[in-house]
Amino acid sequence: MNCFMFPGQPLSRSPRLPQDDGWRQIAELCRRHALFDPDSWQWFAVDGTENVALQVYGVAMSLHGARLLKKRGVKPGIVAEHSMGIYPAMALCGSLPEEAVLEITSRGGRAMATMGKSRQYALGCVVGLTLEPLLALAKNHGVYLANRNTDRHFLLAGEELPMEAAMAEALFAGAFSSGTFPCDAPLHTPLMAEVEQKLRTVFADYRYRDPVAPLMNHIDQTYLTGCDLGEFLYRELLLPVQWERTYRALLDAGATNFCEVSGKESLKKYNRWIDSQLQGN
Amino acid sequence: MSEELIEPVKQLIIDALRIEGMTSSDIETDAPLFGEGLGLDSIDALQLVVAMEKEYGVVVPDAATGAKVFQSVRSMAAHIAEHGK
Repeated sequence: MNCFMFPGQPLSRSPRLPQDDGWRQIAELCRRHALFDPDSWQWFAVDGTENVALQVYGVAMSLHGARLLKKRGVKPGIVAEHSMGIYPAMALCGSLPEEAVLEITSRGGRAMATMGKSRQYALGCVVGLTLEPLLALAKNHGVYLANRNTDRHFLLAGEELPMEAAMAEALFAGAFSSGTFPCDAPLHTPLMAEVEQKLRTVFADYRYRDPVAPLMNHIDQTYLTGCDLGEFLYRELLLPVQWERTYRALLDAGATNFCEVSGKESLKKYNRWIDSQLQGN
Repeated sequence: MSEELIEPVKQLIIDALRIEGMTSSDIETDAPLFGEGLGLDSIDALQLVVAMEKEYGVVVPDAATGAKVFQSVRSMAAHIAEHGK
């Protein structure tokens, strides 16, 4: 069974964008509905940040990837999402049209980015530590677990200075690598409650249809319905992404062929690690 | 000794990272493994750490050592030749 996996926000843009008609159509939808031009990398008439630009770009790339798969006749038996991947996943599943998905990504992203006007936040990628020492050092520094991608690949989020201290401690504690990335808002942490009202206002403006394919959520691995989606879009921003659990649940559900619907292979790499751990046990 | 390990190390990279459509002859011995070269990242690096330990009993104890070991296929082979069991 095919599983289409939608990854979260990319940390950088590709130096080469697609050149086909499908991309030209997606880029036009971006300009009209997200008020962002992924080709010239410019915002129109709104105060968008680099982070929100990356969010819109990531969604646009996934929408383009989904169109290519559709054109090739590849259909999903199940759909999974990681973080911001929920937005293009909703489009693939028919819960929202592509233009609404681009618009909600842009509006939601800009609402989240207001957090970055009063404080500086960062994400921190830690590879190699296990969960227990990672949670201990996160607690020490007042930062939060944002992604549990495998038993050795994690993302923390919080204010910039404590994050840098946490990353240094992670290396000292034996992490294979650690590094921070600036961000507008500490996604997947309780700190996101600061913009609850703004986000709920955005998410309430859309009517979500039931997904036409089973859409597994990354929090508790249940299948989302149209009624769940508005609340899920807010709730997922407060809780860590549980990718390892999701991948295992997808395997248990019968998924055998995993297609990452974007230009990158981050989720495939996590799956590869999880597979190697499963085979070793 | 490390020259003999060049081909097996290339195969280890292909197998451990499940690189499709590539053979050992496609991997340059002295090209950087990260960034401009083979384009690996920290997720790949940890996978290679585990594969090297499993295949050759070689440990990469910390990030600083990893940065040196994973410069190229040749540096990986040299590390295995020096520390392998």
